Amino acid sequence: MPYVTWNGVDISTASSASSALTIDLTQSANLVYNWSTTSGITINDARLQMFYFGFAVATRDQTLTAAQSSGPIPLSWTPLSINYVLEGVYRLTASLIAPNGSTMWSENFYVRGNAPLGFVAALPIILVVIMVYEVYGLFRSGRYAALGRKSAGPPPASPPTADSPTVEATAAEPPAESTPPAGGSS
Amino acid sequence: MSAASHGAGCGVVLGIVVVIFLQQISYLTLSDLTPAIEYLAVGAVVGGVLGALIGWALGRSYLSRHALAQATAPK
Repeated sequence: MPYVTWNGVDISTASSASSALTIDLTQSANLVYNWSTTSGITINDARLQMFYFGFAVATRDQTLTAAQSSGPIPLSWTPLSINYVLEGVYRLTASLIAPNGSTMWSENFYVRGNAPLGFVAALPIILVVIMVYEVYGLFRSGRYAALGRKSAGPPPASPPTADSPTVEATAAEPPAESTPPAGGSS
Repeated sequence: MSAASHGAGCGVVLGIVVVIFLQQISYLTLSDLTPAIEYLAVGAVVGGVLGALIGWALGRSYLSRHALAQATAPK
């Protein structure tokens, strides 16, 4: 039965998210794939994959020059490309691949990655900024009630008064006085 | 656009963002596609409903305050 160790710890002890291995994403991890087969099966590739939304966001392969039926394969993985982007709990899969490309053995385990200083990763910071902006937008949504009313109905700003026709008449009169009709006054 | 629909839009975005943020602080696991999509859908629906309710309530509050301000404004 193959088994894999992560910095000396058997990954089968981290088979659920609640028992995930706590790792520092800035430090390299040393994995050792141990296996032994007696049925003529050979292995030439040890693979480590990290999944996010069902997609492998990181893949590390250690390919052997010649296929082996037993033996340890050391694999070193440094997630430098993601330590400033992501943090949180992730599922990883350790696999042993045969020369024909088929997966002969695989095991899932979970790691909890901590960002530098605990929070300095791009995605959580961006998410916090989006949350603050949307909460601000949510509490401003009351103003849209007034906008919707103005666009749907008549303008409620100034209720009609008795002075309004007078104002309109006086506004229309000056041009009439300044430019009399061409026919003159009769 | 009404206050309720604007609040619902903000709530949907908030619901999705909160789910992803919970994963980043290790409260959720989004490594597998199916539960991740379910978490996002639930977050969007719950956020949208709550946002619509909050927007509707804020809209009523805004209108009542401004109607009161118009009624009590000096002539």
